[in-house]
Amino acid sequence: MGKVIVVTSGKGGVGKTTCTANLGTALALLGKTVVVVDADVGLRNLDIVMGLESRIVYTSMDVIEKQCELGKALVKDRRVDGLMLLAASQKNNKDDIQPEQMKAICDKLKAAHDFVLIDSPAGIERGFSNASAGADEAVVVTTPDVSAIRDADRIIGLLQHGGIEPINLILNRFSPQLVGNGSMMDQEDVLDILNIDLIGIVPEDIGVITSTNRGIPLVYEDASPGSQAYMRIARRLTGQRIPIPDLEQKGFLSNIVNWFTRNR
Amino acid sequence: MTNSIVALRAYRDGLHLIIRPHLSIADVEEAIQEEMSRMNQPLNGASVQIDLKGPTLKKEEMEYLKSKLQETYNLKIRSIEAFDEQAPPPIAAAPTTHALPQRTDPQHTRDSEPSRIIPHTIRSGQSEDYPQGSLIIYGDVNSGAEVRAGGDIVVLGALRGNAHAGISGRLSAVIISMDLVPVQLQIGDFISHRPINQKSRGYPEIARIGVEDVIIVEKFVKF
Repeated sequence: MGKVIVVTSGKGGVGKTTCTANLGTALALLGKTVVVVDADVGLRNLDIVMGLESRIVYTSMDVIEKQCELGKALVKDRRVDGLMLLAASQKNNKDDIQPEQMKAICDKLKAAHDFVLIDSPAGIERGFSNASAGADEAVVVTTPDVSAIRDADRIIGLLQHGGIEPINLILNRFSPQLVGNGSMMDQEDVLDILNIDLIGIVPEDIGVITSTNRGIPLVYEDASPGSQAYMRIARRLTGQRIPIPDLEQKGFLSNIVNWFTRNR
Repeated sequence: MTNSIVALRAYRDGLHLIIRPHLSIADVEEAIQEEMSRMNQPLNGASVQIDLKGPTLKKEEMEYLKSKLQETYNLKIRSIEAFDEQAPPPIAAAPTTHALPQRTDPQHTRDSEPSRIIPHTIRSGQSEDYPQGSLIIYGDVNSGAEVRAGGDIVVLGALRGNAHAGISGRLSAVIISMDLVPVQLQIGDFISHRPINQKSRGYPEIARIGVEDVIIVEKFVKF
């Protein structure tokens, strides 16, 4: 029996879909069986970020309407074992699905897989309640700016109200340089407001843009800082205890010292 | 020190020119000129009410002052009201310090009021309403959250959202927080909002209505 984790944020554009694609791929690379579910009916994106858009035949809508079996609607990612995508219908609307129908799909999926990651749409309406209906746990994605944090706070309140526990936080697009010169909130400020457990910090990484456009999740390349951050979060999701590295901006000199000590 | 004889204040019903105890009409005139010169823009045609707090002006002095205000500053005198205050000695009436007398209204006492404890943080979009009495929050009130109480509001965490104490008009209500950085405070029907980018001060603070009918915030030491 696996677990269902909803990836959500409240605000749009903070990186829910990118996080879902990368964490799903990273968990599969760690040897888990994973289904990533796009819950953004009508505005689906996860298939593009995963590079699987050309292979979608059936969607979750077809499963609900009993046009096909659930197993047949799962698109297998050929690059890694154990990774599958359940796409959302692009021609339907969020109101066409009931929370109970989503829950039924999640329950079936988690019986056969280690992880079910649900990519929630932005907002707090039906799309969000569908996405969180079958969830056991939640990962809230936020960027370190006040509007994203206020929305994350709202979503955390709704998740707690729905009895979803634990709720973990990913601080995305974090820029140590900007924190260093005082123009971005640091992680302590964010945690002070949101008061939930931090599961990882993803640094601002230009590679995310190119990887999204190419449809190859960042975690396939191990060099980039963003990819390493996603791998660490995936390990933490599997229960490993890995400390969160200090991303605070260090001086130029200490970076060089670090580089030498690391390559020794 | 700002001028202590004359003060121009904006209240809900419009501008008030407050005249406090003084020695001679010449002092008042000078003080008015000083107060007007601090304005960024002329108050052409504005209507003011004159509040006499303490002093009694002779009839001809009053007439002189009225014509002076009308001619020199182009102000309309709406009305003149005399307040019977315990007159402190002239001039020595220094501006208010933080030892302000608290407002009390006899029909409400804190002893007779119920209170409710909220044992958790109130997040964005959530709200707590307690018109019957005071609210005590064991947590934070985050940005986007709202708390409203008939009596006082005590936040044993950070107050980052909106708080409205004394919703039924009890002006003696106060708001106390360990870290007072709200978006907006309301006591009765007085509203105050924080200066932009206000940083937390690192000590508990109390907000209440001061004698000048504005919400004042000061370090909370004891009740």
